Amino acid sequence: MQLTQHDRFGSARPLVAPNHPTAVYVHVPFCRARCAYCDFATTAGLEHLIPAYVAAVCREIEAAGARWGRLRVPTLYIGGGTPSLVPPADLEQLLDALRAAFRLADDAEVTLEANPGTLAPPYLAHLRDLGVNRLSLGVQSAHAGELQMLGRIHTWAQAVEAVSAACAAGFDNLSLDLIYGLPRQALQRWEETLRAALALAPQHLSLYALTVETGTPLAGRIARGTLPPPDDDLAADMVELAEALLAEAGYFHYEISNWARSDQRLADRGWQIPPDILSETVSPFVCRHNLVYWRNAPYLGFGAGAASWFGGERWVNVDHPQTYIDRIATGASPVAETEHIPRPLEMGETMMMGLRLAEGVSDARFRARFGASLEAVCAKALGQLSRRGLLSWDGRAARLTAQGRLLGNQVFAHFLPPLDR
Amino acid sequence: MDKENIRNFCIIAHIDHGKSTLADRLLELTGTISERDMTTQVLDSMDLERERGVTIKASAVRMEYQAADGQTYVLNLIDTPGHVDFSYEVSRALAACEGAVLVVDASQGIEAQTLANLYLALEADLDIVPVVNKIDMPLARADEVSMELADLLGGGLDDVLLVSAKAGTNAQAVLEAVVQRVPPPAGDASAPLRALIFDSHYDSYKGVVAYVRVVDGEVLKGRALHLMATDVRTEPVEIGTFSPAMHPTGRLGVGEVGYIATGLKSVQECRVGDTLTYATGPAVDLLPGYRPVKPMVFAGIYPTEAEDYNALRDALEKLRLNDASLVFEPETSQALQFGFRCGFLGLFHMEIVQERLEREYDLDLIATAPSVAYQVVTTQGDLLEVSSPADLPDPEGIAEILEPWMEVQVFTPSDYIGPIMELMTRRRAEVGATEYLDPQRIILHYRMPLAEMIIDLHDRLKSATRGYASLDYTFEGYRPGKLLKLDILVNKDPVDALALIVHRDKVYEKGAALVEKMREVIPRQQFAVPIQAAIGGRIIARATVKALRKDVLSKCYGGDVTRKRKLLERQKAGKRRMKQFGEVVIPQDAFLAVLKLEE
Ligand SMILES: Nc1nc2c(ncn2[C@@H]2O[C@H](COP(=O)(O)OP(=O)(O)OP(=O)(O)O)[C@@H](O)[C@H]2O)c(=O)[nH]1
Ligand code: SF4
Ligand SMILES: [Mg+2]
Repeated sequence: MQLTQHDRFGSARPLVAPNHPTAVYVHVPFCRARCAYCDFATTAGLEHLIPAYVAAVCREIEAAGARWGRLRVPTLYIGGGTPSLVPPADLEQLLDALRAAFRLADDAEVTLEANPGTLAPPYLAHLRDLGVNRLSLGVQSAHAGELQMLGRIHTWAQAVEAVSAACAAGFDNLSLDLIYGLPRQALQRWEETLRAALALAPQHLSLYALTVETGTPLAGRIARGTLPPPDDDLAADMVELAEALLAEAGYFHYEISNWARSDQRLADRGWQIPPDILSETVSPFVCRHNLVYWRNAPYLGFGAGAASWFGGERWVNVDHPQTYIDRIATGASPVAETEHIPRPLEMGETMMMGLRLAEGVSDARFRARFGASLEAVCAKALGQLSRRGLLSWDGRAARLTAQGRLLGNQVFAHFLPPLDR
Repeated sequence: MDKENIRNFCIIAHIDHGKSTLADRLLELTGTISERDMTTQVLDSMDLERERGVTIKASAVRMEYQAADGQTYVLNLIDTPGHVDFSYEVSRALAACEGAVLVVDASQGIEAQTLANLYLALEADLDIVPVVNKIDMPLARADEVSMELADLLGGGLDDVLLVSAKAGTNAQAVLEAVVQRVPPPAGDASAPLRALIFDSHYDSYKGVVAYVRVVDGEVLKGRALHLMATDVRTEPVEIGTFSPAMHPTGRLGVGEVGYIATGLKSVQECRVGDTLTYATGPAVDLLPGYRPVKPMVFAGIYPTEAEDYNALRDALEKLRLNDASLVFEPETSQALQFGFRCGFLGLFHMEIVQERLEREYDLDLIATAPSVAYQVVTTQGDLLEVSSPADLPDPEGIAEILEPWMEVQVFTPSDYIGPIMELMTRRRAEVGATEYLDPQRIILHYRMPLAEMIIDLHDRLKSATRGYASLDYTFEGYRPGKLLKLDILVNKDPVDALALIVHRDKVYEKGAALVEKMREVIPRQQFAVPIQAAIGGRIIARATVKALRKDVLSKCYGGDVTRKRKLLERQKAGKRRMKQFGEVVIPQDAFLAVLKLEE
């Protein structure tokens, strides 16, 4: 049964059973400099706000703890922005607040995003002490020219250094972010970056195609013609190259843009995966936190710009750190927007997110959640997409095919409004 | 109102010469529209008219004016469109008036539709008030243009009013001239009611609303009416005038212009050109009515979703009430299934009809490539009218194809003879006489196939002459032509709705240009899509739309769900005017590619 109760921020929200495991995200909207392609909720040059900001986040966390009664939290993700800019003392305060407000599991996955230009060995040691057990490093490219075009503040050498320092500090779960499909990037360049990254043997890799977001300096340069636009066909070749190289290196492709290192040889298994990524130990390095998003399971987000999905509603906090701080200071709600997600839309989102995963959307889980089978809800889309070879549907799970992975948007759209008549 | 104090007039001109702007000034001077409600070209009330800055519909409005002679007059003004595709609007408006204000742009001078519309007005026996407008423009040649206009009308130079509709200069003089020079309506107040329906529209509450000019008698609320041609009886639900919104008055006297909400729900029962009289004590003779229109261009209109067929039929019937020049009949296509073959007065008309159907009736439509009406003599000796290339019999069955030819007049400054000649002869035109309007301006006469004319001739002419040339045309007759059917195959299947009838000498050039253009406008999709042009099964040109390889959001996490979902929803909703053919989606632009070819 769901109850509705007014919290101290004055909004009515249904309650979820306190035992429900809930992922927690904390957003750190500070960067040293703004990268040329970045349109994330972050700021540059406001690092002096960090202490006040962390204090405000702690208050938001406390309030949530009081409101929902120490939820069980299996994964914690501190993302940004550049969380590695937060001094150890502030970080400690944050983690204390989290542990006080929630039941953070002993084996919880605790990730922190870091910019390789900001990681010194003592800092890494602090992170370990605080219980951080996974690092996600935005290394992006092994080429100086590309890093410069992207406006990154670090070099590849620094990235390599950061990785070895992290290993030395005891981190055994490292993820590297790489970016491809850059203007003028040749396939061979991409291969070099991939091989350089593989040489570091990270436990996890996220490969993102560059999206040129309107309003960014990069978009400006492309509009002015000083840079060519990225070539989507070439980007497709890059994905295929990455899939082959990473499979060969023993990485398990478990989400459209994510790979986890596996001790099993997966080259021949490809995308054909078990019904539950976690149940069979395909790889211990699948990001459990992100899995929560893709399975459309509940999470709470704290801090400026953070999103939550909980009890049938999704809400997002105000973007700007100063506004956020002010709201919390005056006892006002930091929420900028709340969206009630009706069941049919929740089903659509479950498909849009779930199909990103190698495990796909399983009929059993869909039925347990919505009380209706996949077949009953979207037979037409399943049929059409299977015929087009974008989706495989064996009656138990719907999964993207290799082509479906490249043309995912065409698939997702089928499950979203305006729904096919 | 005593009919001696009524003046019914319209404003006519070539496109853009400032009719609607002049109407604005007249509405202001007479206080018909309050300052608060005033906008530029206020009578262009349709969104489409405002977006495109062009009048599409004639609109009537009643004004009261206290003239210099101290008397109050009722002035019924009808603002008309200037674009040649809407000349039927003009001719119908003329029949409701005794006078016409003929506006000529002082910098452009007399243009094609200046003459065409003037002749229509003279044929309808109207008195003309000549106005030279835009005298404020730096390039205005007010004196010269006044002289030309005076010559043309055979009147004195003093009769020509020099006006700036934009600045309001001399707008008052236009009202005075209308009062003094336009005669009051003739009709007989005591004769049985006869009212001419010159326009109409459909209102979901009031049914068919007829726009009328009362010729004899008067219309009073409460009496049953009879539509003479369709022989239908009805009780009107509302009677009134245009202010310019509908303003109920309960009566319309002799000579007045206004509307009658007939309450009729069936759109066939009320026809433009019909005469309304009383059900009891009716008039005996119908008013002359209108000559039916002859469409120039034909195209199929189909719903992108087959189940919208009935909604489309309903929409066409209702739109026809408000667009009397639209003709249509059901048609089937292998590729597009069920739709309608529609006839239009030109490509602009076609574009506007499609837009209005989509906007006013919430439909998503595909229009096929436009075609003219051919006559086909079969080997059996039968004569077929074919307005859709898909309906052309097999080549073995055809003895001869005849195509419509037009007489075309191009009005232009003499500097542009060279480029115009080049453009026209490339389009199979026969060169006729050259006439001098004045030392700098000429009329070039041509004869050319209508099929060559409809394809963008107007725009090409404008761009070849920096906008100075204008053209008018009349039907000349049918002539045999060396014509072939060009089939288009998409993904190896012929798409009947893309077929064209093409002149034999141009078929290779056209075929190659067409498949190339289609390659550009058909979006990349999951599979590579070959596009081929063929004559009688023989491929003469091909191009390939490359397969779409990558289209996926690379990053999608918790914070992105709403934004990314909305992005996908928008993309999906944005897929208007696309038709699914098996595996392939073909957008509207592919059907109109033939209009966009380089020459
Ligand atoms: N400078 C100047 N511009 C004018 C004048 N009258 C109209 N215009 C401009 O000419 C353009 C066309 O004016 P409209 O009043 O829409 O012309 P129209 O004859 O009604 O056009 P259609 O109904 O589409 O045939 C607009 O940009 C007006 O602002 C004038 O007296 N002086
Ligand atoms: S480090 Fe990341 S969040 Fe910060 S500006 Fe660069 S891309 Fe954006
Ligand atoms: Mg106008």
